[in-house]
Amino acid sequence: VETVAPFKEIIDLIKEQGGDAFKYCYQCGRCDTVCPWNRVRDFSMRKLIREATFGLTDIESEDLWRCTTCGRCPQYCPRGVKQIESGVALRKIAAENDIFPGPIAPIRTVSVGLMGEGNPFNEERKNRADWAEGLSVKPFKEGMEILYFSCCYLSYAPRLKKVAAATVDILKKAGVNFGILGAQESCCGESIRKTGNEDLFKKLAKDNIKTFIDNGVKKILVSSPHSYHTFKNEYPEFMVNFEVVHISQYLQELISSGRLKLTKEYAKKVTYHDPCYAGRHNGIFDEPRQILKAVSGLELVEMPDNREDSLCCGGGGGRIWVETPKAERFSDLRLQQAIGVGAEVLATSCPYCITNFEDSRLSLEDGEALEIKDITEIIQELL
Amino acid sequence: MTEKTLIDVLVVGGGISGIQASLDLADAGFKVYLIDKSPAIGGKMSQLDKTFPSNDCSMCIESPKFNECSRHPNITILTYTEVDTVKGKPGNFKVSLVRKPRYVIESKCTGCNICAEYCPVKVPDQYNQNLSSNKAIHIYFSQALPLIPYIDPKTCLYLKDGSCAICEGVCKPRAIDLHQEEEIVEVEVGAIVLSPGFDTFNPGLRNDFGYGIFENVVTSLDYERILCSTGPYEGTIRRPSDKVHPHSIAWIQCVGSRQVIPGGNSYCSAVCCAYTQKQVILTKDHDAGMQATIFHNDIRAFGKDFERFYQRAENLPDVRFIRSYVSIGSEDPQTKNVSIRYSTPDKGVKEEQFDMVVLSVGLEPPKDFQQLSETFGIELNSHGFCKVNPLNPIETSRPGIYISGAFQGPVDIPESVAGASATDALCSQLLSYRRGDLSQERVYPPEKDVSEEEIRIGVVTCLCGANIGRVVDTPSVADYAGTLPNVVYSQENIFACSTENAQLIADAIVEHNLNRVVLAACTPRTHEPLFRDTCREAGLNQYFFEFANIREHCSWVHSKDKEGATQKAKDIIRMSVARAEHLEPLQEFQLPVTHVALVIGGGVAGMTSALSMANIGFEVYLLEKASDLGGMARRLHYTLDGVDVQPFLDDLIRQVYKHPSIHVLLAATITEVSGYVGNFVTKVKSESGFKEILHGAAIIATGADEYKPTEYLYGQDDKVMTSLELEDRIVKKDEKVLGAQSLVMIQCVGCRQKDRNYCSRVCCSQSIKNALKLKETNPGMDIYVIFRDMRTYGFKEDFYREASNKDVKFIRYEPVDPPVVEAVVEGGQPMIRVTVPDQILGQKIAIDADLLVLAAAVVPSPASAEMAKLFKVAMNPDGFFQEAHVKLRPVDFAADGVFLCGLAHYPKHLNESISQAYGAAGRAINLLTKDTVTASGAVCDVEDDDCVSCGACITACTYGAIEFKNTPKGKKATVNPVLCKGDGLCNAKCPTQAIKLKHYTDDEIFSQIDAADPDMVNESCRNCPGLGRS
Repeated sequence: VETVAPFKEIIDLIKEQGGDAFKYCYQCGRCDTVCPWNRVRDFSMRKLIREATFGLTDIESEDLWRCTTCGRCPQYCPRGVKQIESGVALRKIAAENDIFPGPIAPIRTVSVGLMGEGNPFNEERKNRADWAEGLSVKPFKEGMEILYFSCCYLSYAPRLKKVAAATVDILKKAGVNFGILGAQESCCGESIRKTGNEDLFKKLAKDNIKTFIDNGVKKILVSSPHSYHTFKNEYPEFMVNFEVVHISQYLQELISSGRLKLTKEYAKKVTYHDPCYAGRHNGIFDEPRQILKAVSGLELVEMPDNREDSLCCGGGGGRIWVETPKAERFSDLRLQQAIGVGAEVLATSCPYCITNFEDSRLSLEDGEALEIKDITEIIQELL
Repeated sequence: MTEKTLIDVLVVGGGISGIQASLDLADAGFKVYLIDKSPAIGGKMSQLDKTFPSNDCSMCIESPKFNECSRHPNITILTYTEVDTVKGKPGNFKVSLVRKPRYVIESKCTGCNICAEYCPVKVPDQYNQNLSSNKAIHIYFSQALPLIPYIDPKTCLYLKDGSCAICEGVCKPRAIDLHQEEEIVEVEVGAIVLSPGFDTFNPGLRNDFGYGIFENVVTSLDYERILCSTGPYEGTIRRPSDKVHPHSIAWIQCVGSRQVIPGGNSYCSAVCCAYTQKQVILTKDHDAGMQATIFHNDIRAFGKDFERFYQRAENLPDVRFIRSYVSIGSEDPQTKNVSIRYSTPDKGVKEEQFDMVVLSVGLEPPKDFQQLSETFGIELNSHGFCKVNPLNPIETSRPGIYISGAFQGPVDIPESVAGASATDALCSQLLSYRRGDLSQERVYPPEKDVSEEEIRIGVVTCLCGANIGRVVDTPSVADYAGTLPNVVYSQENIFACSTENAQLIADAIVEHNLNRVVLAACTPRTHEPLFRDTCREAGLNQYFFEFANIREHCSWVHSKDKEGATQKAKDIIRMSVARAEHLEPLQEFQLPVTHVALVIGGGVAGMTSALSMANIGFEVYLLEKASDLGGMARRLHYTLDGVDVQPFLDDLIRQVYKHPSIHVLLAATITEVSGYVGNFVTKVKSESGFKEILHGAAIIATGADEYKPTEYLYGQDDKVMTSLELEDRIVKKDEKVLGAQSLVMIQCVGCRQKDRNYCSRVCCSQSIKNALKLKETNPGMDIYVIFRDMRTYGFKEDFYREASNKDVKFIRYEPVDPPVVEAVVEGGQPMIRVTVPDQILGQKIAIDADLLVLAAAVVPSPASAEMAKLFKVAMNPDGFFQEAHVKLRPVDFAADGVFLCGLAHYPKHLNESISQAYGAAGRAINLLTKDTVTASGAVCDVEDDDCVSCGACITACTYGAIEFKNTPKGKKATVNPVLCKGDGLCNAKCPTQAIKLKHYTDDEIFSQIDAADPDMVNESCRNCPGLGRS
């Protein structure tokens, strides 16, 4: 057995970077028992914390990058270790030293894209509104009811452009006075912040805030729970407070107020997956279910891990940009759960979740049919 | 206008603590109202199956106290009663009580339970944690006091919509009153004792362990009921989903405790580790093949004998203690088994299925704590428990209102009981001017002379719930008993010891003119006093009572052989009936009491109890072996809760010296102790010369010492010191200590090991306390605590987290791989290097420290062993004093008139010592206030004519009860009946059978043996002196 000594300088460095709460850990191990990683492979958050406590963190280890920031362990941690913030502190140190081991390397390219074009795909900024072509979506003007912030995935990714289209279709049918800012927008920055790149997050956030203020934005509608989270909980660090609403909340409001009428029937068995950043992080559990329950013919079933205990798709914390080996994908487990409860449709409302689920769907065995849908895609069909 | 009732003390809450407080206060000559908001007294203890670490049946040891309360002339019990308002001041509180309607007229009800039989509404049974059902009208539990049903207005059909009232019709004594209304009772009281107890954490609210969703997840209190013979499954372990016996059970520790998650409690509930181990042991008793798994973090076996108890549980086959908090996985839809995920240090996360899961839920303040605070005008602490004075944990923030039991914080039964006796000491102090004014003496009917009567024996066969009834065919046993010679009355009884049923026995004595009573039930060890008293109530000499133990000696040991057990029960009863025929009426006698107390040990415990007794007016001799008062507290300077110890200690010493009734003898040694309860004679040599002290009671508070380590370079390297030495150097502002860059503390030095197999209880908190103090002056100091289990129980857990917050680092070690300490030179500086494996890292951590502090064990004072010999009191294997009963007589010795408190009993914190000191004082006060004490009638006596003056009996007697006296016929042995304990050793030694033990005469014993089986008896039996005692 190796003998090591506590490394004081590293302990202080981790503390400086925001990992102070590691100190509270009393090693009960509960984090490991709720961590989704331990359903697919061994990963010990407890060990990561223990190493950090003594300044013994292996800064080149891939384990630093595993956490999807799903929020399960801080929810259960009896000592208040704040695993997400503390874990990001370690990534900050790695990122500052430009250490992105093995599969984590793509984070570098992602950062380049975000820095240059404001999106992780390094697509041209000027094409950001291309998804809306032919949908007669207005540019946002001061005085409009709401800004629709479609996020990078819904703007550029082919599968998710359909969600953006469905969303604006619904908004128009409900007579919502909204607009988009297209090329003026940048990535919300939520996920890059979780990779430890605080500077880049700040740049993106400031760009967006300036854009919002210049255009007189007061209320922002988002499709991504990640954007929701950062606009609502992190942008206030810059002393701004926009009214932020997630599409599932807004849809529920449109339906219950009668602005949106669901006329058709949807005779399918549907299960709803709570995205981590909508559910656990922001408490949006009931609205999406209320929407689905309002649909006639639709049978809503629950998967074993639901609501507060929802199983992460694997896409948070920057992991959406990292290639996860096939056998280690949480999304595969999630699809099995959906099929297990007899669902024909796996509905959710997060672009990362949809991306991962669609990926996992490709490897489903013959005969196992499961549709992956954003909640807006279901509603659009009923109008 | 209602007239106000004048009473001395109002006790609010009828759990074990309130019961004990009432009994002590009533015995001390105060008139007591004992009220409880539930329909019966008993509290949480009445729901427990057994109690740790002695595994006594909980109800069996508690229910005799119900009887004592019920029969006590100075106690009035009001159940289903709450306090509305409290006005006034100490000595003169005006309290308004609300008696909730139970819709049954107590004075008319006979407790026959017909109403419940006919009631059509089934409701979940609260007493059984809703695991079984009861009726809308029902008696709270079988041994309930009072044994009167109550109606739950929320479920009763009549009270809901007027649609039923069947009970009214079937009740013969017309005791049902469906129109009963709330009644206000105004009382004027001198003092109030608050003992509202606790509630358990509700794991259903946050729902992280599947409670209320998965059927086979139960709480530990649910499980107590499942284990209990009076529980939902009559003592067979079954799981709720299919009522099938489970084969694997998991316990999850710290449910609701030790956490900063919203909805949880940050403190440690202090009792769960031990109660879980108890449940494991009992479960394995029920089914030796059971797979028991306990998921835990630290094991907090900090109480007396808890360490051994933990080892006992851990060493049972198929018992696994796994150090991991867990999460509940899922419920198998077919089997309803529950899966649990836990983590291992080196093998990742594992998932296992269990047939059943028990959540070890923590303790919380009573649900209505806010209301309690407002009603009584008392402050609460941040957790909602009662805020107490850290230097007198019996005092609330409002003078005249005292606290007892778990409302002061999570405590177990002994502390609740000692605290109850402590309230007696404080109330006695406050109300000494009116003691006895309102109280009454117990009056028994005149004893009837049965010497000319024919023998008429009554036999009562008790089912003890299911304890006996499940194994022994009691109806056939009762029938059989009725056929025995001289038996004129034979009945069964479900719980003979319940207050109402004991009354039935008294009634039968009168009605059937019985002159001998045989009770076939449990053991005389716990229940003989109760039934002897029952005989007195009926005007029968109490020595006409005879116990036939068909529980310990029969149903418990032959539970697998019902037929054999039934036959044996008949045999035992036949023997007892034969013996009963020969029983003689014996007289007990009264001895005067010297109203002087002796306190041995001038530490905080001794001084506190001395002052408490002196303040009431008793003369007290306080002996201290050192040249000044103070004891261990001299070495303590600050506490975790912020007390500055030395000014408090100086003040206490000043009060003691100043008190005209306290005589302090310093440099004192005791040379001889003689005498007995009420009349001790103790010879003392001190700096003021020789003195012979006559005293009625003694409190032994001889304290303890800090272990002098031989481990870890102690004594060899001046950088190594003990915790107390560190504390001393901190207050002396020693630069070497305060300026140190790194400091390591090692816990459990000298205890939790083979030769000292106990936990010293205080050291974890001591280390945290010192670490926090050091961090206060030198925040940059690196402090490491190397520990086995952090035992910061109760509210101290908050300070453990605070130490983490201040960057104190904690490293766990296992005894198989302890830290290695060596002196090294690092960068030219001599250092202490401590190397210890860390399980989670899978590496050894080496720390170079400027200082090493050893949390050295608390060891008994050598003076304790001397006192044990002088006062003939018992010690436990570790050299601490052994109390009379670990749960219910925590400050009494088995020897009458001698009490204990402080560190000599077991390591404890300062506030705990103070609380216990008041408890011991309370018990001693009750003895000292009496003018006489009663001595047993079952003692030896010498037939002078037969005595040959050989002196064999004198040598045999270990109590010094026999001596020679001069008679006209020469020197004859004579027995001092007060000292005689009735063990009969002398009987066996006497060559002429001149000395006899009354109540165990040859006639009585031999008739009993003869009735067993004539062939079995031989000469050796006839010579055995001890037969017949159980």
